[in-house]
Amino acid sequence: MNKTITAASLALALGAAMTVAATPAAAQNKMSDKEHCYGVALKGKNDCKAGAGTTCAGTSMRDHQGNAWSMVPKGTCEKTLSSTSPTGHGQLKEFKEKKA
Amino acid sequence: MTDQQDFAEALLAAESTFPPGLSTWNGSDPGRRFAVYRNNVIVSLIDALADTYPVTQELVGAEFFRAMAFQFIQKNPPRSPLLAFYGEDLAAFIETFPPAASVPYLADIARLEMLQVQAYHAADAAPLDAGEISQLLANEPELPRVSFTLHPSLGILRSRHAVVSLWAAHQTDDVTAALAEIAPNTAEAALVLRAGLDVEISRIPVGSAAFIAHLQQGLAFAAAAQQASAADPEFNLAAALCLLIQGDAITSVSLSTTP
Repeated sequence: MNKTITAASLALALGAAMTVAATPAAAQNKMSDKEHCYGVALKGKNDCKAGAGTTCAGTSMRDHQGNAWSMVPKGTCEKTLSSTSPTGHGQLKEFKEKKA
Repeated sequence: MTDQQDFAEALLAAESTFPPGLSTWNGSDPGRRFAVYRNNVIVSLIDALADTYPVTQELVGAEFFRAMAFQFIQKNPPRSPLLAFYGEDLAAFIETFPPAASVPYLADIARLEMLQVQAYHAADAAPLDAGEISQLLANEPELPRVSFTLHPSLGILRSRHAVVSLWAAHQTDDVTAALAEIAPNTAEAALVLRAGLDVEISRIPVGSAAFIAHLQQGLAFAAAAQQASAADPEFNLAAALCLLIQGDAITSVSLSTTP
């Protein structure tokens, strides 16, 4: 894009975009860098959330004890960080000692 | 009122306590009965957050996520009986939660997942048809002052991290292999948009994201394009417009009074 935005340049871009948008399929990757990743239909949550919490079965679940966060996050973040070389790797290890 | 407040506070307290003045009809221990109720409240709210934030949870593991969620819940009890949007503030909370600091992109992943939920529940809106967009071209001198109303489901996230790639890796069968390809510290931008009933999350160029975000904030055509060029020297206006037109994301146009 030019640094100066003129009415003509806007018109040109809009015209080009419309032409491409009107061309099916073939145009999809040419003009837009859009990658379709995922389409998902989420289930709705209503005001009476059914699930583990709606029965007394939850009573013995003590999983909301508030100290687990003092541990290292155990998910895929470690894999993510260790699989690439930029900064930020050591933090996970040091973090283990850290009392939050 | 104060009874209610005591009751509500005890429900979300860090330690299991129970408010004064409770009694039971059958003589069982009111503390125990209250603990059952309290536990159900907390577990339901944590489950609601886990439903909304599946990738955020995967990134740090269920144990960490649930413990973090409990901390969040204590500070941010629901303000609406609808749990669909519960946890809108989770990303902001994550940023202030020291144990999560070792995963610097965690907050933006949470933002992306909330945008997805919001897009899913957003109102429908009919897009402008091609004819209406062409009419804009008939009045070229006014074009710089045109402002666009975008689809209610549209959301933009600009991140310093590779949020879209990280998120997308978690939608694949082999997450570890997909993650191996990603440099987390690459800046990425996401376009969240509902097509029919499906919410689509796409990675778009940062300039396009700046342009669309400025349009969404009400900036006129020329001003938004100017801002986007400033934000990204590679900004391609035609490509950004193409995203909006192809996504049926422009729902109306008007002439803005301010340039």
